[in-house]
Formats: sequence, C-alpha cells, structure tokens
Amino acid sequence: MPPQLPHPHPGIPDTRGPLRYIWWLVRCQPWRVLRASLVGTAWMTGLSLRPYLISRAIDDGLRGRDNRALLFWVGAIVVAGIVMAQLGILRHRTMTFIREDATARSAAVLLRQLSRIGAVLPRKLAAGEVATVGGSDIGNTSHVLTMTGPGVGAVVAYSVVAVVLWSISPLLALCVLLGVPVIAVVIGPLLRRLERAETVYRHQQGVLTTRAGDIVAGLRVLAGVGGRDLFARRYATRSQDLLAEGYRVGAVNSWIDALTLAIPGLFLAAVVWVAARMAATGDITIGQLVAVYGYVAVLVVPVWFLLEGSYQMIRGRVAARRIVALLNLTPDHVDGRTAPDDVPGSKPSGVRGRSRPGGVRGRTPGGVRGRSVDDAGGPPGDRPAPTGPAELRDPASGLVVHHGRLVAVAADDPADASALADRLGRFVVSEVIWGGVPLTRIALAEVRGRILVADHDSYLFAGTLREILRVRKGLGDDEFRAALRVASAEDVVDALPEGLGTPIDARARRLSGGQRQRVRLARALLAEPEVLILVDPTSAVDAHTEARIAERIRTARAGRTTIVLATSPLLLGRADTVAHLRDGRIVATGTRAELLDRDPGYRALVSREEEPDPGAETGGFDGSTEFAPVDVEGSLR
Amino acid sequence: MNGLPVADRPAIRRAMVDLVGRDRRAVAVMLVLHIAATITGLAAPWLLGTIVDEVGSGAGVGTVDRLAIAIAGCVLAQCLLSRYAQYAGHRFGERAVARLREEFVRRTLALPVSVVERAGTGDLATRSSVDVTTVGVTVREVVPVVVIASAQLVLLFGAVFLLHPMLGLVALTGLPSIYAVTRWYLRRARTAYLAEGAATAELTEALTTTAEGARTVEALRLGEDRVVHGNARIGQVWATRRRTLALRSVFYPVVEGSYALPIAAVLLVGGLFLDNDLVTLGEVVTAALYLQQAIGPLDQILQWMEQAQRGLASFARVLGVGQVPPEPRGRVSVPRGQRLVVRGARFGYADGPEVLHGIDLEVRPGERLAIVGPSGAGKSTLARLLAGIDTPQHGEVSIGGCRVVDLDPAERRRRIALVTQEHHVFIGSVRDNLAFAAPAASDEQMRSALAAVGADWYDDLPDGLDTQLGDGARDLSPADAQQLALARLVLADPDTLILDEATAALDPTTARRAERALGSVLAGRTVIAIAHRLNTAHDADRVAVLADGRVTELGSHDELLRADGAYAALWHSWHG
Repeated sequence: MPPQLPHPHPGIPDTRGPLRYIWWLVRCQPWRVLRASLVGTAWMTGLSLRPYLISRAIDDGLRGRDNRALLFWVGAIVVAGIVMAQLGILRHRTMTFIREDATARSAAVLLRQLSRIGAVLPRKLAAGEVATVGGSDIGNTSHVLTMTGPGVGAVVAYSVVAVVLWSISPLLALCVLLGVPVIAVVIGPLLRRLERAETVYRHQQGVLTTRAGDIVAGLRVLAGVGGRDLFARRYATRSQDLLAEGYRVGAVNSWIDALTLAIPGLFLAAVVWVAARMAATGDITIGQLVAVYGYVAVLVVPVWFLLEGSYQMIRGRVAARRIVALLNLTPDHVDGRTAPDDVPGSKPSGVRGRSRPGGVRGRTPGGVRGRSVDDAGGPPGDRPAPTGPAELRDPASGLVVHHGRLVAVAADDPADASALADRLGRFVVSEVIWGGVPLTRIALAEVRGRILVADHDSYLFAGTLREILRVRKGLGDDEFRAALRVASAEDVVDALPEGLGTPIDARARRLSGGQRQRVRLARALLAEPEVLILVDPTSAVDAHTEARIAERIRTARAGRTTIVLATSPLLLGRADTVAHLRDGRIVATGTRAELLDRDPGYRALVSREEEPDPGAETGGFDGSTEFAPVDVEGSLR
Repeated sequence: MNGLPVADRPAIRRAMVDLVGRDRRAVAVMLVLHIAATITGLAAPWLLGTIVDEVGSGAGVGTVDRLAIAIAGCVLAQCLLSRYAQYAGHRFGERAVARLREEFVRRTLALPVSVVERAGTGDLATRSSVDVTTVGVTVREVVPVVVIASAQLVLLFGAVFLLHPMLGLVALTGLPSIYAVTRWYLRRARTAYLAEGAATAELTEALTTTAEGARTVEALRLGEDRVVHGNARIGQVWATRRRTLALRSVFYPVVEGSYALPIAAVLLVGGLFLDNDLVTLGEVVTAALYLQQAIGPLDQILQWMEQAQRGLASFARVLGVGQVPPEPRGRVSVPRGQRLVVRGARFGYADGPEVLHGIDLEVRPGERLAIVGPSGAGKSTLARLLAGIDTPQHGEVSIGGCRVVDLDPAERRRRIALVTQEHHVFIGSVRDNLAFAAPAASDEQMRSALAAVGADWYDDLPDGLDTQLGDGARDLSPADAQQLALARLVLADPDTLILDEATAALDPTTARRAERALGSVLAGRTVIAIAHRLNTAHDADRVAVLADGRVTELGSHDELLRADGAYAALWHSWHG
C-alpha cells in the first residue's frame, strides 16, 4: 500500500544515535516492512526455482524423451517466469514505498527542525552541511531500509539453495555454499579499492566542476573586463589533468573489473569440473549437473545482496549520524550561550558581527561560550511582557525609545548599529528593558511577535512575490499593494511578467539590489510589529525613491514605534528624534536640525564631507576571516 | 525570460557520431577486444554442453578433466581480453568527457552577455555542474556497460543460431514484448525522470534555504510557512517518484516475464528436434544456458536505462549551450577619439515595453557625467547601451564615430568598462584575479594597482599575490572584493568608465570606502556614474536627470539648482 506523503505528523525521531534513528524509520512503518520481508523472501527463494525447473525439463523431458513431461516442465518455466516477474515488481514497489516513506519522514523532521531552530543555526553548522544532508544523507539513510525486505530474503534463499544442493550431493553443497561467500569476501575489498580510486577521481572532478561554476558565476565580470580566453585555457589545462588521473584510475579499475569477473568464473569452472566428474561416474544426473551450474549463478544474488547491504549500512550510518547531529541542535534561547560579542577577534565593523558559518569549527570550544543565564537576571520567560505598547530602553548605549515614535539612530560604525539592533530585537543577551521588564526574561515568542528586526540583508525565500510577502495570515493583495507602495516598490511588481504571482528564486537574484531592499522593506512593514527596527532600509535605493520611502514610512507607521538605523539625511530628516551613536554610546539626541547644529561629529557623518572616525572604520577590514562578508545577494548566515 | 536552448534529437545524434568519429581507432580497438572477450566467455556453456554430450555417450573422467581445464583457460583468456577492452573503453570515455566539458566551458565563455542575463545564471550553473557531471558519469560508466552488454547479447544469440538456426529463431521469442515495452517506457521515462530530478533538487533547496535564512525565519516567525512550503516539496517529490514507479511497474514485469520465454521455447523445440535427431542433447542444454546467460546483460542494459535517460537529457542541455550563436566578433573599425554620443536611442527588452524613449546625450572625453533619476527610469538600461551590451532598436550609440556594438568585443572592453554592483572573486590566487584584465601586467604593476585603490588588506596577505582566494581558501569582504575589481580596472586601463551604482550593495561605511578607492581609478578618464547618492552628482561636471526613459534635465549641478526643477527639489530635501 503506497504511503500517504507528506506525513501530516512525521512523529518524533529517535535521535539517540544513527542506528536508533534508522530503527525509528523502520518502526514507523512496521506492516510495510513485514510485507517487504515476506515478498523479498519469496522472490529471492524463487530465483532458485528456474534452475530446478530447467534441470527437470532436461532430465525428465529431454533425456527421457517424454514430451508430456517436457511440456509440463516448460509450462512450469513460463508460469514461474511470470510469477517471479510479479513478485519482483511487488518487491520493488514495496521497497520503494519503504524508502520514500523514510525519505519523506527524514525530510519532514529536518524541515521542522531547521524552521524551529532559528538564528543560532549558521553559528553551529557549516553552510554546506545542510546541502549534504538534504542532497545525499537522507537518501543514503533510506537505502539502509532496503535491507529489511530482501535482506531477510537473502538469508532464507541461501538456506533453501543449501538444502537443495545437499540433496544432490553433500560434497558439492559444501563447495558451493562455502565457495560463494569466500569469493564475495575476496572480491569485496577489491571493489572497495575501486571505490576509493573513484573517490579521488570524483574529488578532482568536483574541483573542476567548482571551477566551471566559478566561471559561470563570474561570466559578467569576464564580459566586462575580458580574459575569457585565459579562463578557457586554464580550465582546459585542469581538464587535461583530470583526464590523466582518469587514465590512471582506468588502468587499475579495468584490472579489478576483469578479476571480479574471472574469480567467480574460475570458481564456476571448478564446481562444474567436480560436478561433471560426479556425473561421469554416475553419482548425479546430467540435469542435476546443469542445475548446479544454475544454482551457483542464483546464489550470487543473495550473497552479493548481503555484501552490498553491509556497505550500504556503513554509508547509511554515517549519513544518519549527520542527520541526528542536525536534529540534536537546540534553538538558541538567547540565554547567553552564543552572544556574537563573545566571538574572539577584532571588533567587527562594516560587517555584521556574526561569525562565518564554517569558522565555528576552528575556534576553541570555550570561545563560543559566553555569559550564563544568571547574568541576564533569571530564566527567560518568567516575567510577563508589557500588556500594551511600551518604552524600550537600552542601557548599554543609553538609547531610550518612547512608544509610538519614529526614532533614527545614526551610527558612526555600522557594527555598533547591528549590535544595537541585536540587543533591541533580543538576538543576544542584553540589559534592554521593555516597559520596565528585562527583555531577556520575557518569553521569546512574545518578543518575536511584537518586536521585529528587519536586517538590510534579511533572507528572501523562493516563491511568488505574493508568497514572499505573506508574513502573516489574513493578508491579501490590497495589503501587499499598500505595503509595496510605502516601500515605493510598485515598479518592482510592474516590471515582473506576472505581477504579484511571479515566481522569484531564492535570494531574489533576479532583482536588483535596490529592488530586493524595497521588497524586504515591504515584507517587514506587512508584519506590522509593535516595534519595527529597520537596519539600513534604503542604502541601495536612489535618492528620489528614498525621499518617497522616508515620507511614506512615517505615515504608515504613525502611532507605532519604529527605529531606523541609517545615516542617510533623507531618512534622518523624517524622524521624530535622531540619536547619534558613537563608540557604542548615544552621544547626542534631538531633531535632525538640532543635531546638525550641536554635534559636529553628526554633521560630518551625514554629510560625508570627511571621515567621521577613521579608526573605527579600518577596524573591520583587517582581513580577519572570522567575520562573514555580507553577501551582496543577501547574505548567507 | 528566454531560457538557453536544449539540443534536439538530430543534434544529439550528430554530436555522438562526432565523438565516436574523432576517436575512430580507439573505438574500433575497444569493440574488437570486447567481442573477443565475449566469444571466449561463450566457451564455458558450450564446453559444458560438450561435457553433457561426452558424459551422455559414456566418456570417462579424463575427458571431463580436459574439458574442465579448457573452461578454466577460457575464463583466464576472457579476463585478459576484457581487461584491455575495458581499459581502451575507459580511455576513450575519458577523452570524450574531457572534450565535452572543455567545449562546454569554451562555448559558455563565448556566450553573449545579453543571452546569459536573459537566461539567468542559474540554468547555466546547473548545466555546468549537474549536467556536465551526469554526462561524465554516463559516458564513463553507462556507455561501457551498455556497449559490452549489447555485444554479449548479439554474440549469445548468434551462438544459439550457430548451434541450430531453428533454435536461434525460437530463442527470439520474448524479444518482441521486451522491445515493445521498452519503446513504451522510453517515450515516457525521460520527462518523468527529469521531473523527478527537478522535484528532488527543489526539496534540497527548500532545506538549504531554510537553513540559510534561519535568522529571518526566526525574526519574521516564518517557521510554519517554511514547513508548509517544504511539505509541498515533499509531496511533489513523492508525486514525481510515483510517476516513475508507475512506469517501472509496467516495464519491469513485462521484461522479466519475457526472460523465461526463450528458455522455455528452446527446451520445447529442442525436445521435438531431439526426437528427429536434428540436434544433440548437449546442444539444447548449451542453447538453454546461453539464453539463461543472456538475462544478465539484458538486465544490465535495462537497469542502466534510467541513467542513460538522465545522461541523454543532460547531454542535450550541455549541447544546447553550444547552439547559442557566440558573441559576434564585430567589424574591425577603429574609433577616432573618445567622444561618446547617443542619438535618438530607443530601447525595450524583448518581452517588455519600451524603456528608453529617444535619448540624446553627448559625453565629452574626460568629462564626469552623473545620471540620476528614480528607479525604473531606465538608468541601468542606458548604461548597458553605452557599454555595448544591448543595441538600441532605434537610434545609435557611438564612440569616436564608430557604433559601439560594431566594435570588436576585446577592443570595446579596452575602451569602455562597465562596473556594476556585482563583483565576483574568482577561485585562484590574487594574481589570477588581476591578470586576466591585463595579461601583460607585471607583479609590480599589480601591486601598485592594488595600492592605488587603497587595498591595504593586501599587505596582510601571507603569500602576497600568490595568496589563494575563494572556495574554502580566503574569503574577501565585499568591500575588499570591490577593491580587487577596481584594481582590475586600473590594470585594464579603459578610456571610459560606466559606474552603475557600483557601491549600492555595500553598507554605507563600506560604500564610502569603496567610493574613495574609486577616486584613484577615475582620474583622467571619461566617467559616467549612475548614482543614487546625490553627493556623487554634486561632484560631477554635469548631471543628467532621467525620468520615464527620457532625459528631463541636463546641466551642471549649479545650473540645475538654478533651474529649480526636480533635481533642485531633491537636493534641498537631501541637504536639509
């Protein structure tokens, strides 16, 4: 019976270990697995039927010149063939169902885990890891389940052939029953070597593929600056290196391939020799001689199957271990274990203070640890959130944001701005007070629902524009269009062939930087949070549009708290209050005009007539690989 | 969006014939060796049949021993022959794959930019990774198996014919049903497997993007959405897999059921012939064994059919890239001077409305022109026309009296460089990343180019110009990468620079830094800057305001302020 996929409830996986996880996948479909064992057994055992029927046709029909017997046995061969074909497809279908059920279940639990775990994920996992898990580990794990059906069948089939052979001749039975596994064990390592040689080749091939991908990614650069011939030549040189490696692999592999053919062949010759001698002396019949020949061939199937299965098991276990590791990651409760400011190294600037995903591994284990829950003043979630709109206060910088205001924060150092956003949005532990309650002690879900940090590089998922914008229930085209208008992004929709229904790929690579930024802004506005924190919302937008956006945000967010972190004069000009953030502290607050008047540092910052603080600026460009470059496409975090 | 072409069947066939034709000798050697190996492989059942006959006629143990040794000899001979056959095949496969991938990259590099942009780099990236690899696997692994198995089949059936022509004819029962069902299957399999592959890739993407956007998922509470989205992908995968399973559910049983037919038929007809003494018992047994043996290769061919299908589909996509006409070489015309002139240029993208409605613009050599205007006014499109990437439908863009699109691409790039917000650090050393812009540049020139754009991070590199960048090696920050791109420009030394919001994607501080670096590149060149920051406009010699595909204001910053138009209004709101 085909499974109903996707599972409405994939269940709770057993993540105590890779084998337990695989066993959980089995336990989720006990009847199907049981049926697979029965069908698999019937099929494998049935394989030995044909040699038996042929031997009877030869002995009773041909040698005995009995046409009725011949007709009977030949008919039996045809019927057995059809039955075996049916059994075969039944086995294949059942096994496919089992594998697909497992695959869908793994994908579903991983999906739930990845969706649940949140901001902490990139810090705990290398970027490529999830791709490996999704691309191959799920499949490899599911393949282990193939063992459940034909695996049992292989053992039974082996025993059946043993009994039949024993009835012909105990000596032959011993030769074959011991010989076939011995040969499998001899050839197995040879095949492993073949696999290893292939691995080296595949790795090199992967490197070459990366190069081709690199060329494709840089195609526009090459078109702009030239150098195509150089790259073509360089690729060709690498390709020729791989060719040479391929020759080397081929020289070894062709020997292994030939030997894996010859060794069983010689064994078969030996068995035939022994059997033929017995036939010559009359110990067995001619039909039995032919049957022995057939049984050896049949026996290869279950023995190979078991051998293959054991390799699958090894591979599947490694794959399942990675899945389990991912499932065992715990979401960050922002209780102080992974605050970005714990990251050793220089102060990030210009680039968000987040670590590069791959960089986590190189760090000392203690490096990622930070302050404990106690420092935050108690366990999270033990205090009620303010019942209504409330004042937000950040003691670290001295920023105070009154309810319902549009506050702009101009930071000398963008890293300070990001750190402030992280504190206010509770992506890190902080002393932020919200309506008199420490933010860290309010239930996280409550915070997420009411305070939104809209990063300038927040992720855009693949989907139609409508899907991208649907950040909460009950939103329709009218709301979308209104938000797009505020973000001055109507032209983005107009330029798309199917308007709001146009599918857009992940990170919206099809859109320009400015278009992406406006779509992000519209999305953030649609979430309608009580407190909206916008980080550099218009840095890639032209001045005309920026002026429009600044005005419209003000109207759209009237009565609700909005904090804009930016240095653009157009945005700052529309704020109720402007605060100047310098070296992590608010050094001046007032209207834009007041600040221009009072604060020469602010004046320098917004008019860009001179560098406000060269020291802070160079700090981030020390070439430290600890920090992720902000991907122009929208950042991989 | 116009996708890249996919090769049709005749084109695929031509390409295959071409691959074989280029390596005719190797293919011939491989085939001869395979046939010889298969023939020696046929000896075992034949000798077994002989043993049956000899034993039947009362031969002794000595005869059996001799025949058994002969079988062993044949096995060893087959081992040697098949080894060299495989090796020859392997080498041929490697060469063919290498040729294919090099050709692919060559053709990819020759693609006109406009085609790449229209098709999107995603498709091209898939072709360069998945498809080229799939073709490689197919040629290296599937083709040899199919070739060997086919040779074995032909010889096995041929051997049955040799035993007795009537037995041979009888042995062909079963083939019609296999042929029919295979045809049925192949007609449907290709699309079904392509859909399955696409659905699987989408599921993987759903997982990876959910991980990549984890912070956004948390911030916007998109978790439930992601689960719904991913579940839809899981459902899609299952739907496509059920489709392929349904195809196999017809294909496999018919094929497997057909395997028994020739064996049964040969035994039955053999019994009748035995009665008339037309054949010996040994010959019938041998024929039955040959047919039993044929199941192996037949099965192999059918098993690899899926992969062969995939390989063929990928092959079509790889070849498709070669069907795009390469970028035209342009006429050999040498511009006189650097004056860039746009006359009545109108332009619209293939599937869209007109974007530019008659632009007239003249850029004097050494001038700095800023183009400002709201999004969607056509600024980037104008930049593309100026750089010769797109051709206006009406009017023309010329430099020094020559139409920009008529220039040889290399010549054009030497004169006009377009810098966009996109930048790419190639995998390789710093030197590799600079040299392609100016192959003749010395290390010293490269270092001073880096210094000119303020790339002080260069001093911290462990191996100087030989420091490896990208792909697990060192990653540059966007600002550093942009500086590297600018250093490339210094080396390429174009007369005219078109900056299309070159720093827009960087955060403000980084942008400021990159802009400062730009200053050193701009000195002494004609610069056309599309800017969204008004201070860029302020510094320019002239400002062109673009609105709705037309130049609405043109003049120096001060002139435009005096004119008190849209630009002036914007400047005042900006400047407070």
